[in-house]
Amino acid sequence: MSEASQRVTGSTWDVEHLLSDALRPIEPPERLSGRLEDTLSAVTQAAAEELSDWAEELSESELRALRDPRNWVRPVVAVGAGGAAAGALVVLELRRRGRQQAKGGLRSLTGRIRP
Amino acid sequence: MSSAEENVEPASLDPAAKAELDRAFEDLYRAHLRDVYSYAYYRVGNQHDAEDLTEQAFLQAYRHFDRARRESDGRPLRPWLIRIAHNLASNYYRDRSRRPQTSLENADPIAARHGTEAIAEGREELREVMANLDNLSDDRREALIMRFALGMDNREIARALGRSDGATKVLIHRAIKQLQEEMSSDE
Repeated sequence: MSEASQRVTGSTWDVEHLLSDALRPIEPPERLSGRLEDTLSAVTQAAAEELSDWAEELSESELRALRDPRNWVRPVVAVGAGGAAAGALVVLELRRRGRQQAKGGLRSLTGRIRP
Repeated sequence: MSSAEENVEPASLDPAAKAELDRAFEDLYRAHLRDVYSYAYYRVGNQHDAEDLTEQAFLQAYRHFDRARRESDGRPLRPWLIRIAHNLASNYYRDRSRRPQTSLENADPIAARHGTEAIAEGREELREVMANLDNLSDDRREALIMRFALGMDNREIARALGRSDGATKVLIHRAIKQLQEEMSSDE
């Protein structure tokens, strides 16, 4: 009996069997692991005071440019090793400013940084 | 919990505690990167957004990791991590007033993950189940993704979805029953 024919008995589908086949775990791309490890490594090395001092120097126009999460996540990939920490600090500072205005998820990171 | 405790972030810990916390987070990250990515992929239906969501989920998890560990009482943190990804994905679409641009049916994770002649015979059936999965309500679809893609048990899924164990069991049962009925009616 073929595997396919085992998935149906009369008119009753073995949905759990099909779901097990269809929804297998997906290995993340290697570049994602590298990107995440760079970001997390930078974050773990950032001291809170250093973050605060540095971030205060960001102009509001620089923050506006970083409003979209695609614009603040991707620079972390683009920058070299020396700049990775700075990219992560941008992320944290956007979160800090978002928290000051209101609680929330991704929206607070992106929509609450006003000119 | 006091507001001071709520605001504890890794950077504010003493160096030894922070180093220990970072090691624990690294373990969590290595153990569950595939889970978070798989969940994100099946939620958004494309690799690009799944990578972004995975990264954001781990960044947010890092910020709250110390508190989550203290409150977990030794229970596994995977449901908490998946709940972060779940909330981010929900906010992601709500902010953009859009659903996934690529449906699960068209995302072709089947080819991406199997990609051999072995799938040829059952491929249409897999596509059909993915198409029907895409038509389920969000909570039913997410529960099935957690169950089958991540191998989470009812209790873990309940924690990730913020539901009771009983309600989660019913949710999954009804989701499977609905899929069965729709697959049968498609014949």
